[in-house]
Amino acid sequence: MRKILLVDDEPWLTDGLVAALESRGFQCLKAMDMTEGVKALMEHTISAVVTDIMMPPGTAFRKTESSESGFHLIEYIQKNWPRLPIVCLSVIADQAKIRFLKKRGVRYLRKGETPLSTAVEVIVAVAEGRIVRLPS
Amino acid sequence: MASPTIPGNDAEELQRLRGEIAALRLELEETQKSTTQYLQNVAHQLTAPLNAIKWNIEAIKDEKIPIPRKKSLLSSIYSQGTILVHLIKNFSLMSNLEADHELGQFRDQPEIISPLRLAINQTGDFQPQATESSKKLEVRMLTFDRVFGDDSLRVVKNLIAQALSNLLENAIKYSYTGTTIYVEAITKEMDGESWRGISVVNTGFPISAAEIGQLQNRGFRGNAAKQKIPAGTGIGLYLADKVMRLHGGVITANAKGSETRITLLFPPSRIVRQAVRSDP
Repeated sequence: MRKILLVDDEPWLTDGLVAALESRGFQCLKAMDMTEGVKALMEHTISAVVTDIMMPPGTAFRKTESSESGFHLIEYIQKNWPRLPIVCLSVIADQAKIRFLKKRGVRYLRKGETPLSTAVEVIVAVAEGRIVRLPS
Repeated sequence: MASPTIPGNDAEELQRLRGEIAALRLELEETQKSTTQYLQNVAHQLTAPLNAIKWNIEAIKDEKIPIPRKKSLLSSIYSQGTILVHLIKNFSLMSNLEADHELGQFRDQPEIISPLRLAINQTGDFQPQATESSKKLEVRMLTFDRVFGDDSLRVVKNLIAQALSNLLENAIKYSYTGTTIYVEAITKEMDGESWRGISVVNTGFPISAAEIGQLQNRGFRGNAAKQKIPAGTGIGLYLADKVMRLHGGVITANAKGSETRITLLFPPSRIVRQAVRSDP
């Protein structure tokens, strides 16, 4: 079964997303901070990562600023698992930051504005390799 | 045209005033910055549960999701609704409290309530939130029997309920996964009198001694709290403190390692020797 890793410090906010992905044959793993996310990546074979931006860094990345830890996680993943597709699910409005994500081949879905059906479609396509990472 | 000459003393005064204006301008910029940050936080606090509700409703309409799963999504919607109501009540309470209303100016008047029933009711409201975060909430009933016996509290029920809710919400947010949050009654000797109160005890991110004294300040959030939950309003304990002061009581905070105890303490004048028959 394909696994999708969701990294969000408020996991109950993605209950609907998890239910929709699981009903489409994916197993969802939840991590509540950057440290838990990296640990899950080391222990499982993951098809796609869905991450928030503002979240606690956790014990292994204490010096990371919590308002930016999602960006650090993305950089860390792309350095260590360069082929792993990443979707950013957050509420960032800063265009420079959104451009940064695009440049790194990360799909950005805005929480609260993206319908669940669209989010599921994008995440499933990314996890199945139908949407590939854009070259940085 | 030649610029007018300013006598020595006036020039010094002008210089001093310029310095003062520069300092005030800096202070204003800082205030505006923190207000923007605060409003952004508040907006996040309000929109996050609404977004969760929207997605849960969409998921419930999804035919691929099995019915038992939809039932748990309904519980999640209920839980998010509770969070929203609680938040909105806090903002409404803040406007009343900051207008320096006296207890008698509130719509609700003090009434006699059972501290145990109050603890049970508020804890029940937060049970789904605790369960979703893999934490347990437990009221230590024997402590209430021991401390209050048949005695009751004469307070504005909704205000005290909101203060206790704020304590519970913080405890759920900032405690470690898999731990139990206890609600218990305690007695404390203050100024030669016996005060009684309701404590919320949790095990989680430690609060430093320096931070303890600032917890009741409006907008203050401890370092560990900010690292763990980046978004937060920092008004929960501030409001609880104001509510307690209105009742002539206090809020106390103690931290020992990873255990934090926050207590709503009532003076003897709020304790009534009378049992309550109806629900609080």
